[in-house]
Amino acid sequence: MIRVNHLYKTFKTPNRREVKALVDFSTHIKKGEVVVIIGPSGSGKSTFLRCLNRLEEVDSGEIIIDGQNILEKKADINKVREELGMVFQHFNLFPHKTVLENVTLAQLIVRKRDKEKATKIARDLLEKVGIADKESAYPSQLSGGQQQRVAIARALAMQPKIMMFDEATSALDPEMIGEVLDVMKTLAREGMTMLAVTHEMGFAREVSDRVIFMDGGQIVEEGTAEHFFQNPEHERTKLFLSQIL
Amino acid sequence: MVFGKRSIITLAVLAVIIGWVYYFLTARGITYIWHWEQIPQLLFYHGTKTAAETTPSWHLGVLMIGFVLTVKISIVAIIFAVILGTIVGICRLSSEPITRAISIAFVELIRNTPLLVQIYIIYFFAGSMLRLSAFAAGTAALAIFEGAYVGEIVRAGIQSIHKGQMEAARSLGMSYAKAMRYIILPQAFKRIIPPLAGQFISLVKDSSLVSVIALADLMFQGQQAVARTYSAFEIYFTVAALYLVMTSILSMATQYIERRLAVSD
Repeated sequence: MIRVNHLYKTFKTPNRREVKALVDFSTHIKKGEVVVIIGPSGSGKSTFLRCLNRLEEVDSGEIIIDGQNILEKKADINKVREELGMVFQHFNLFPHKTVLENVTLAQLIVRKRDKEKATKIARDLLEKVGIADKESAYPSQLSGGQQQRVAIARALAMQPKIMMFDEATSALDPEMIGEVLDVMKTLAREGMTMLAVTHEMGFAREVSDRVIFMDGGQIVEEGTAEHFFQNPEHERTKLFLSQIL
Repeated sequence: MVFGKRSIITLAVLAVIIGWVYYFLTARGITYIWHWEQIPQLLFYHGTKTAAETTPSWHLGVLMIGFVLTVKISIVAIIFAVILGTIVGICRLSSEPITRAISIAFVELIRNTPLLVQIYIIYFFAGSMLRLSAFAAGTAALAIFEGAYVGEIVRAGIQSIHKGQMEAARSLGMSYAKAMRYIILPQAFKRIIPPLAGQFISLVKDSSLVSVIALADLMFQGQQAVARTYSAFEIYFTVAALYLVMTSILSMATQYIERRLAVSD
C-alpha cells in the first residue's frame, strides 16, 4: 500500500549545521498493517510521518502510495492528504470552531459533502470516540484526552486509507493516555492501516503487527512487539528499551 | 451603555479646556467676543434650503454635511484598507521571493512618505490621468496609506497563529488558500482587533488631510465656516468634538466585537 524507497531528509539548524533526519530510509506498509515506530528523540520518527504527507519535503527518494509516487510534481498533494489522516502530539484542533465544526469542516470544504451527511458522519464518529455530548463545546473547554479524541474523529471523518499518529499521547496527563489509546486500539482491531510513533509498548504489544526501532534516521531493527520484549538484537535497541520500559 | 466611560471623560476634559481658555482670557483682560450662538446652525438649522422650498424644515448645517462626508470617506477607506492590508500581509509571508519583495517595498514606500504628499500625488497626477473625482482620489490615498499599516498588522496576526494550525488544516487536504480562509485568518483577525481599531481611529483622523484637495469633509467645512465667521476657536472645538464622536463610536464598536468573539477562548 505504501512503499518508501531510499528517503533522505536533511534539516539545517539556525547555526547552519546540517542534521540528517532520514538516511536511506526504506520500508513497506501493507494494507491493514499496524506499524509502531519507536526510537530516541531526534531519530527521525516524526520526520518520517511528516514526509509521508509532505508536511516536510524530502531531499530525495520515493514514496509510492497505491502505485502513485506522491513526490512527483504532477501529484496533487491535497488529494493525497485526504487519504492520509494525521493526529498530532498537540492535537492542533481549530480553537475558533466547535467540536462538531472541527469534525465537519474539512468534510464540507474538501470532500464536498453536504451539511447533513457531514454532520451525521461527525456525530457517529464523536459517538465512537466517546464525546458525543461535547459537540457544541469549544476545544478550550475540553481536557487534553478529549481534545485528542476529537482530533482523531476529525481525521477519521475524511475516511482516510491510513491513519498516522505522531506521538498522540505524549502531551497528555497520565490519566488521559488510556482513553486515547483505547480509541487507537479499537481502530487497529477494525483493520485500519496505522502508523504510530509512540513509546506506549503496551499498545505495541496488544495491537501492532510490526515495530520499527529507528535511530539516526535509519531503521536499526524491526520485528514483532514480542521480539522487542524478548530478544532485541542490537545494543542500541536494548539500551533504548531499558530506558523506556 | 449608550456612551462609553472613556468618551464621557474625554468630553469632560474638552469642557475643562474650554473653561480654562475663558478664565485665561478674562484674567488677562483680553476681550474675545464669543459666538457660540453660531454653532447650532452650523450643525442643524430650520429654514428653506432652496428657493423652490416654500415651507421651512430641518436641514443639516455645513459642519454636519462635512461630518457625513468624513464618515463616508472613512467607511469606504476602512473597507479597502482591510482588503489591501490582508493581501499585503499574506504576500509578505509568501514563499515566492518576488511577491514578498513587492509587498515589503510597498509597505516601506507608503509608510515612509507623508500622507499629505501621497494625497497630492494621487489627486493631481493619478487623479487627473484617470479622471478620478476628489472623493475617489482622497479615499484611495487614505486606503493605500492605511492599507500598508494594516498589512503589517495582518502579517503579525498570521505569524502569531501556531504553525500546527496550518499543518492540521493542510493534513486534512485543505489547499493553502482554504486553510488561510477558514483556519488562519479568522483566528488572526480575532487577535488583531485591538491594533486594527487603533489603525481605524488613525484613519478617521488622517482623513482630515483630504480637505487639501477641496473635498468638503468635516475639516474643510470647518475651515470654510471659520473664514466666514472668524469664530476659529468655537468652530474648531466643535470640529474636534465631532471627530471625537466618530472615534469613540469606533472604539466602542470594536470592544463590542472583541467581546462577541471571545466565546471560544
